[in-house]
Amino acid sequence: MAPRKIDITINDQKVTVLEDSMLIKAVLGAGIALPTLCYHKDLTPNGTCRLCLCEIEIRGRKRLVTACNYPVREEMTVWTKSERVLKHRKVLAQMYLGRWPNVPVVQDVARRCGVTDGSAFASDLTDPNPKACILCGHCVKACEEFIQERILDFAGRGILRHLTMPFGETDPHCIGCTSCAFVCPTGAIQVVEELNHPVDPNLIRRHGMKVNAEMATLDKVQCRMREVGTANIVEVMDKYDLLPVNNYKFGSHPETYKVDSKVLKERYFTQNSPDGCWFGCSMSCAKAVDGYELKTGPYKGQRVTVDGPEYETVGACTNMGCFDPDFIVEFNFYCDTYGIDVISAGTGIAFVMECFEAGVITKADTGGLDLSFGACDSVLELLHQMSRGEGFGVEVGQGIRWLKEKWIREGRGDAQFIRDVGMEVKGLEFSEYVSKESLAQQAGYSMAVKGPQHDEAWLIFMDMVNNQIPSFEDKAEALYYFPLWRTWFGLHGLCKIVWNDVAPADNKKYPPQQAAKIPEHVDNYFKFYEGMTGEKLDEEKMLAQSARVHNLQRLMSVMFGFGRREDDVPPYRAIGPVTAEEYLSRAERYDGQLKSVLGLDPEAMTLDEKRAALRAHREAQYQKVMDAAYARRGWTRDGIPTKARLRELGIDLPELLALAAD
Amino acid sequence: MIRVNDLHDVPWREGLTVQDVLDQLKYSYALITVSIGEDVIEPEHYADTTVPDGCAMTVFHLAHGG
Repeated sequence: MAPRKIDITINDQKVTVLEDSMLIKAVLGAGIALPTLCYHKDLTPNGTCRLCLCEIEIRGRKRLVTACNYPVREEMTVWTKSERVLKHRKVLAQMYLGRWPNVPVVQDVARRCGVTDGSAFASDLTDPNPKACILCGHCVKACEEFIQERILDFAGRGILRHLTMPFGETDPHCIGCTSCAFVCPTGAIQVVEELNHPVDPNLIRRHGMKVNAEMATLDKVQCRMREVGTANIVEVMDKYDLLPVNNYKFGSHPETYKVDSKVLKERYFTQNSPDGCWFGCSMSCAKAVDGYELKTGPYKGQRVTVDGPEYETVGACTNMGCFDPDFIVEFNFYCDTYGIDVISAGTGIAFVMECFEAGVITKADTGGLDLSFGACDSVLELLHQMSRGEGFGVEVGQGIRWLKEKWIREGRGDAQFIRDVGMEVKGLEFSEYVSKESLAQQAGYSMAVKGPQHDEAWLIFMDMVNNQIPSFEDKAEALYYFPLWRTWFGLHGLCKIVWNDVAPADNKKYPPQQAAKIPEHVDNYFKFYEGMTGEKLDEEKMLAQSARVHNLQRLMSVMFGFGRREDDVPPYRAIGPVTAEEYLSRAERYDGQLKSVLGLDPEAMTLDEKRAALRAHREAQYQKVMDAAYARRGWTRDGIPTKARLRELGIDLPELLALAAD
Repeated sequence: MIRVNDLHDVPWREGLTVQDVLDQLKYSYALITVSIGEDVIEPEHYADTTVPDGCAMTVFHLAHGG
């Protein structure tokens, strides 16, 4: 429900605010200055310094409140400079100046309160240090809210109150993120040594703190990465018909509610703090489940900690038709324990399930296992077999490409069907997004150097939802920029999640093509690079850095036999509906496309004719997008980097030229 | 009729709000920017901003994935 709007009057100025927003935001938003010492716009306020006192009147009753932490819940009149307020502020300012007479920020705020002499409050507590700690608490809150640690806190009561670490000892959990130093208004906390000697640490710090502040303030109303991690998009993908179900046949399921982020949070996630993914990360999206009792396998009956589940883990399970959250956690655990990639396992087993249901294989092949979609117990047994090197699990563990080739060689079922539904490219199983309605994503997956891993490009929303890249050239441009940008993260050991799983509040000011890149966040990364190396980076240089490696990777793929046009073509299940069941499940959409795009009359066509026409069209479209993408990348029609491109990139080494095309 | 992202047609009715359009299209993603013509509509106004008949609405989704 949208928050209620409330009309208030501040110094005779009418202002409309959202219910429960803090009064200080309304005052500052109205352009009215307020003196503060303990308020920081990105940290939770707690009314410590009292300087932001305002006088309010609600239904005839007047009182003083601290604006920083007073939530507006009803109409009121506010005075920021009433006689009563000014009198209190003056005394407070004198007290602060008396205790910390030489701290510049205290002198400044006192001056704003009309005070230049605090001697009336000088005492044994007076600290002449211009960098004295003024007990504002910024560092305590930054440690907790930016980094989700509690290294710093106050100890002692009254005049004995002081800042400290637990038991007054240096806390080994402090990772030196320097958030505390960054927010300290007096310099009481200073960075004394930069261990890895960045050229300009303050540049890194300034932009890093912006990221920290966004995580503390925006994430909770955006993707909730801190709360539920990547699992936040389970229910989103289901709504957009992108959640893989039954080997990518469908994009949604009525039982998704059983495995969405709400269920995971309420019943499973116990660890909601930074873990070993990247200690000190302010996003802290990694989640874990403690004390889960295993139901199967060699550790049956033991309570374990499970690292996850992530979105892809849930998607891998829905892809197998499995909507049991306990199963998802157990599948996650055993994949991790056995060193099996959860995506390859889920997508691979989903393929096996479809072939089982289609009669390509039977229980005679599976060792008696019923491998229908949703057979959670059988899936776990397959995992255990893979780890033991026994039974049908050994074959499933070889992957989709091996299984396809085996079953086609043995003449099992329809070879075309097997090829169409085996969701792998270059031998790697697809990750967990339905790409059927996004031509750009089909190419983003299938043209990826390593195989269909969405890490190279995730263009689904830009393409099928925003309709932002309608032409082949638009798609080619996106297929040029985003794989190179995303390759750049890997090259520099940086996580991409703070690029686009949180967005600056004002990202919407950019036109769509720019907004999609999230310019302010891209600039953060460029500044991290510049801060470390001293070298300025811009889009052109960044693309060149990545393109050198990306083209090298492509040539290595050529060398290994995976880098030609034929290797970039996906199975038809990634492009369109393979079976009659699939077509009929989205008949309105597909019939509509036959009509609007191809000018055909679906009413006058049989189902087989409609499927054939749609397939011919979509496969032709895919070939065209490959042509456009290759041209943009400086590759031949066969997908090979040209010698000219290597020279342009400055990587025209003899060994690479030998692999490149003329 | 409302045209969304130059892709979807949503039937117009008296009192149709931005939130109604988002609900109908199942646009539940958090990182979106909604515009009616050139005007950006802030999230707190989705429920009380009515959509004029015949207008072009943009619901820009930021990329996700990874």
